[in-house]
Amino acid sequence: MSNNTTSSFGRGRCYFKVVDHYENPRNVGSLDKTSKNVGTGLVGAPACGDVMKLQIEVDDQGKIVDARFKTFGCGSAIASSSLVTEWVKGKSIAEAMTIKNTDIAKELCLPPVKLHCSMLAEDAIKAALQDYRVKQQDIEIEAVKASN
Amino acid sequence: MVSLTIFRIICTSEALHILPKLFANRRCLSKTSIYATLCKNFINFSSKDTQNNSCFKPVSESTGKHVSSLLRTFSTASEKLNCWNCGHSVEQTPAFFCIFCNFVQPPDEGASYFQIMDCDQTFALDTQRLQKRYLDLQRTLHPDNYTHKTVKEQEFSEYQSALVNKAYRTLLKPLSRGLYMLELKGMHIQEGTDAGADPTFLMELMEINEALDGARSREEVDKIGAATREKLNDLTKRIEASLHKGELQAAKAFLVQMKYFANIEDKVKEKHSELM
Repeated sequence: MSNNTTSSFGRGRCYFKVVDHYENPRNVGSLDKTSKNVGTGLVGAPACGDVMKLQIEVDDQGKIVDARFKTFGCGSAIASSSLVTEWVKGKSIAEAMTIKNTDIAKELCLPPVKLHCSMLAEDAIKAALQDYRVKQQDIEIEAVKASN
Repeated sequence: MVSLTIFRIICTSEALHILPKLFANRRCLSKTSIYATLCKNFINFSSKDTQNNSCFKPVSESTGKHVSSLLRTFSTASEKLNCWNCGHSVEQTPAFFCIFCNFVQPPDEGASYFQIMDCDQTFALDTQRLQKRYLDLQRTLHPDNYTHKTVKEQEFSEYQSALVNKAYRTLLKPLSRGLYMLELKGMHIQEGTDAGADPTFLMELMEINEALDGARSREEVDKIGAATREKLNDLTKRIEASLHKGELQAAKAFLVQMKYFANIEDKVKEKHSELM
């Protein structure tokens, strides 16, 4: 983080990251939330009134093959969720669970006043993973019932 | 009486900043009381840091400090405020001018925005009366009137004028007014995700936002705008009722909802002007 704040070139790069995600957001959209392979995380931040939806599609091997987001809020919130969808693709569920808001904030060089945006993105991905896990458990329970 | 040296070691920079202001503010408090105030300031600021209680737009950090200052102020019965110019006692709260020499006074740290704007501390507020009070105050307080006056008067007029601006902006809109009223009672909306949020409500917000995002005609935008305004009016009534009954948690929940819809209303206005 220090080399991003000391040199003006470094600071420029950081600034462009958030602007880039805001102007060219990756993975905006929706997945079919009724699908058994899709986990949906829907979170809100009451203090600033931001809403964030993050969805993941998981294959049968437990790997995240697609991710989409829709965020209505400030540029930092949009950039944070956009970054998370980029990061989770190709990761396993367990790996995706380790994403921390501090990593997001560091990557985007978020100022202190915008740290809560990265927190929101972390909560969104965790909610999506949780939703997927609950769905899978329900499927298992149904399968056990059916076989009895 | 605790020595000043000890306080220099333990005081935060915030508390040190207040010390000259307290003396300049012509409060005839004993030094013991002032040290106790500094101690309280320190405690308040450290607990504020650990709780991470910082708030949200438009209630900024400066409003947070304003409210902290209000909650800390001793009862006015024990204080005598004196005019910095002529020394006569300044009885009223808040005092903008000395009634004897008419010199502008520094802002009263113990006055709430409601007191500054001469309004009852209720959610129901006559905005026309508020606006009149604002214009009347700025007519006499605005720094433009002090260009030929002393540096001290210019400084005080700046502080007073800025404070009146802040008070007016906060009390004008129902959302900021309601949030300020909660703040006065020590309630804040925490930053970060609301773990207990109703998923159905969040989904509804998502759908409205998506519809607005996808709107291609002014008619579509206006329709969403009308629905949002109706929702906001309904919430305003509910907030008024809750605050009137002292149901702070209910008021807080409605104010949170209002925040989300206020954001949508801002986007409606943006979209409307984009499509013009």
